[in-house]
Amino acid sequence: MLRKISRAWRIVGTGISFSVFGILGLLLAATAFPLTRIAVRDRVAREFYNQKLIHWNFRLFVRLMVAVGVLEVTVRNGDEMARPGQLVIANHPSLIDIVLLVSLMPQADCVVKKEAWSNPFMRGAISATGYLPNDAGDKLVDACVERLRAGRSLVLFPEGTRSPKGSIGPFRRGFAHVALESGATLRTVVIRCEPPTLMRGQPWYDVPDRRVQMTVDCGETVDPRKLAEGAPTRGVAARRIAAALRDFYGETLQNLMP
Amino acid sequence: MASRDEILAWVTGVLTEEFQYTGEIQLDSDLTDDIDLDSIDAMDMTVRLEEKTGLSFKEEELKSLRTIGDVVDLIDGRL
Repeated sequence: MLRKISRAWRIVGTGISFSVFGILGLLLAATAFPLTRIAVRDRVAREFYNQKLIHWNFRLFVRLMVAVGVLEVTVRNGDEMARPGQLVIANHPSLIDIVLLVSLMPQADCVVKKEAWSNPFMRGAISATGYLPNDAGDKLVDACVERLRAGRSLVLFPEGTRSPKGSIGPFRRGFAHVALESGATLRTVVIRCEPPTLMRGQPWYDVPDRRVQMTVDCGETVDPRKLAEGAPTRGVAARRIAAALRDFYGETLQNLMP
Repeated sequence: MASRDEILAWVTGVLTEEFQYTGEIQLDSDLTDDIDLDSIDAMDMTVRLEEKTGLSFKEEELKSLRTIGDVVDLIDGRL
């Protein structure tokens, strides 16, 4: 009985959190983003400003989820993520991974899937922040490199989509090309979500039978050039980097299994 | 004038050298799903094939390529 009440409350709590999240997003899109368009003429300054607004918005959202009891969050080494100019890569177990990551990063460029451009909750945010659309193919790699070279931080999910339940999917190699070409610090972040929730295709109200525990483990930096040492071509280099890091994630997640 | 078999051998050679690809290569192998090429790989493969054949390919020609057979056909049609 108590368990049922607890789950019912967490469904309500999740609904409230997501509603507040949506409303805040709309508010920012309706007020702050248009205002900064006028008040902050410099594009980069405006993007930074708006990214910081989203950072605070996401922090608030995470705190709200924690406060209403649907989520517990443990962050290890989170300060490291706030450093500028790094390429942050992470596995992608849940819908709210990016929210957690950005809540730890005052400045973060993100790659957003094309469909999000037609979502009114997202569109305002995307254009105000300079987030990158993922339909640009190899031009996306160039755009990412440019951001990192300008000293900005960037978040990429090497899987390109949400992870399969409890494990890690195949890696695409765009992130490896970005790392190699930019020479930026590559930081591995391992996200764990227990029990798995908000996976691909899972509706928000399908909340698990206990409170979700998420861990964001900010790891060491990796030197991509070392991983690719001796590779004769960039194609081979990217394959080696992707394979090595996928192994790292596979093993790390395996060891974390309860 | 090169035979289709020779052209296939060029393509195979490029995949081996450029990507250290060791899997099976057949005319109906899909460049993305079977050979696991991404857009950057496709660019690099094109450059290597252009060097090898002395041809230069247009972006529209390359966009429609799906399989190894398509690549062979493209080169065969132009040589």
